[in-house]
Amino acid sequence: MRLFVSALRKLAPRMATLLTFGLLAGMLVLIDVAVVATRGAVEGGPGRPGNVLALITFPGAYDQILSFILGLGGLFAVIYGAAIAGSEWTWGTLKTAVARGESRSRYLLATFAAIGVVLAVGILFAAVVGVITAAIGATVAGISISGIGDRAALEALPEHFLRGWVAITETAAIGFAVATLARSQLAGIGVGIALYFGETFAGLFLPDVVKYMPFHLATAAVGGSTGFAPVPSSAGPVMSIDTALVLVAVWLLGSLVVAAGFGERAEITG
Amino acid sequence: MIDPTLALATRGLRKSYGSRLALDGLDLSVPAGVVYGFLGPNGAGKTTTMRVLTGLIHADGGAVELLGRPFTRRDRHRLFDVGALVESPAFYPYLSGRENLRALAASGAPTPAGRIDEVLEIVGLRDRATDPVSRYSLGMKQRLGIGGALLNDPALLLLDEPSNGLDPAGIVAIRETLRHLASIGKTVFVSSHLLAEVQQMADVVGIIASGRLVREGSMQDLLVSEGVVRVRVEPAEVATATARLARLTAPDRVTPSRMEPGWISVQITPDRTSEVNRLLAEAGIFASGLSSGNDLEELFLTLTEDTTSGDPDGTFAGIDPSAGRLAPNEVLS
Repeated sequence: MRLFVSALRKLAPRMATLLTFGLLAGMLVLIDVAVVATRGAVEGGPGRPGNVLALITFPGAYDQILSFILGLGGLFAVIYGAAIAGSEWTWGTLKTAVARGESRSRYLLATFAAIGVVLAVGILFAAVVGVITAAIGATVAGISISGIGDRAALEALPEHFLRGWVAITETAAIGFAVATLARSQLAGIGVGIALYFGETFAGLFLPDVVKYMPFHLATAAVGGSTGFAPVPSSAGPVMSIDTALVLVAVWLLGSLVVAAGFGERAEITG
Repeated sequence: MIDPTLALATRGLRKSYGSRLALDGLDLSVPAGVVYGFLGPNGAGKTTTMRVLTGLIHADGGAVELLGRPFTRRDRHRLFDVGALVESPAFYPYLSGRENLRALAASGAPTPAGRIDEVLEIVGLRDRATDPVSRYSLGMKQRLGIGGALLNDPALLLLDEPSNGLDPAGIVAIRETLRHLASIGKTVFVSSHLLAEVQQMADVVGIIASGRLVREGSMQDLLVSEGVVRVRVEPAEVATATARLARLTAPDRVTPSRMEPGWISVQITPDRTSEVNRLLAEAGIFASGLSSGNDLEELFLTLTEDTTSGDPDGTFAGIDPSAGRLAPNEVLS
């Protein structure tokens, strides 16, 4: 427990944490500002997507905000997981803990558990910022915010959050495992991003295989609309969201087993 | 058979990195309650040994005993009684010194409340404890690293180059701290390149070369038995002088220096320096330099010369040439 609490205390003030969730929330704000600022063109322009104002129109805005957070958050989570795991090797802090007699696997798993908590708080923070900004934007744009208290939308939010959190945590676990195998922060981040986009492009050619890959499964687990994979995949909706969620959990646990197993056996040099 | 008087022992320790043999049957015996100086040129296997002793890597063969008990892959709890600083100190740069020690205390052996402040006091960082480590100098990071090693009040302290980056006052302070720890029964195992520092600090010395122990013993015994007279002649006369000087002692105790052309080391007690001079003069060879002493550096160079590499300006990897050489005829206390 003290390892987990310590890991949380280390993550909270970290620049990577502040940057990741600050960026996510900041981009939501920017998008809402852009929507409000260009609402005249959006409403009146021929051929413009008519649903852009949905970003600031409740109760639909809830889904839009979540969709954005979980979509971009997938990429951010890979990078975040890789940054945290890789820095333990790059800075040598794992070495110091091991030299004190700490269990390597316990240390790595406690670190990841803390990442999971930080991700939950970060998603929630970004969502709250998104809702507040959307409400302000709607008010400025003269759109009613009466839907903000829509009961059905509010009741569905916890499940959406939970699914989204599991999916995002899975992508973070992929980054975490990759950086652990690479024993490097930069290599972990680079390979994590490459996997993220590589899987997307592979989906164009090998849809039957790629639908079982982590980022596509993450997309499927949250209903397929969040865009964990940045380009639409020809894999399409091929499984129920519950099956996808189970497979996401398998990837999550598998990544952690790989990271812990490798950490346990690795020769720590340098 | 475990010797209970030893705080640390290795028996036939072997380790290879691919085809390169890093440890080749290393046998170390570190008595409890002493400062043990662990010396060797670069690539001799010091850091590999440190890594094995702290469980960072695992030996291919041989055995390690820590504090009177076997230490294997499954015995990580044995390290709860060990404090270590391996290679460079490692910290989270964005956390303060105190927060880093708190994070460290969360791993391994439980740390008593208040110990972090005690340690910060010991290493002289109390005033800077709240500054981020990224703003620390190299010496301050080194002190914090030593503080981290002291966190669990260990019975055995393993320190890799503890004086690295410290200013003279810091070196003296660390030396006194380590001496104090030994005086209260702790065992301090120090790997260092600063031979003069080790000579002042260590009770027992182990010298390794090419992954093997080449000499081990108390500092006093080694220096008494390993007196060296160094003589400088014209490079063209080295062969003749070496043959001549072999009459004073065994031929294998007369060693022309490969790194300092013209210098010859003769392993005899310093009170026979005049004999060296006379013998050479009788052969028509006149020394242009002569020095003698019981010097750890001389001993180190003699024992490890085959494994050290020179460079054109006469310095060589592995040893700080400015540190530790005694003036000719200086007697060590």
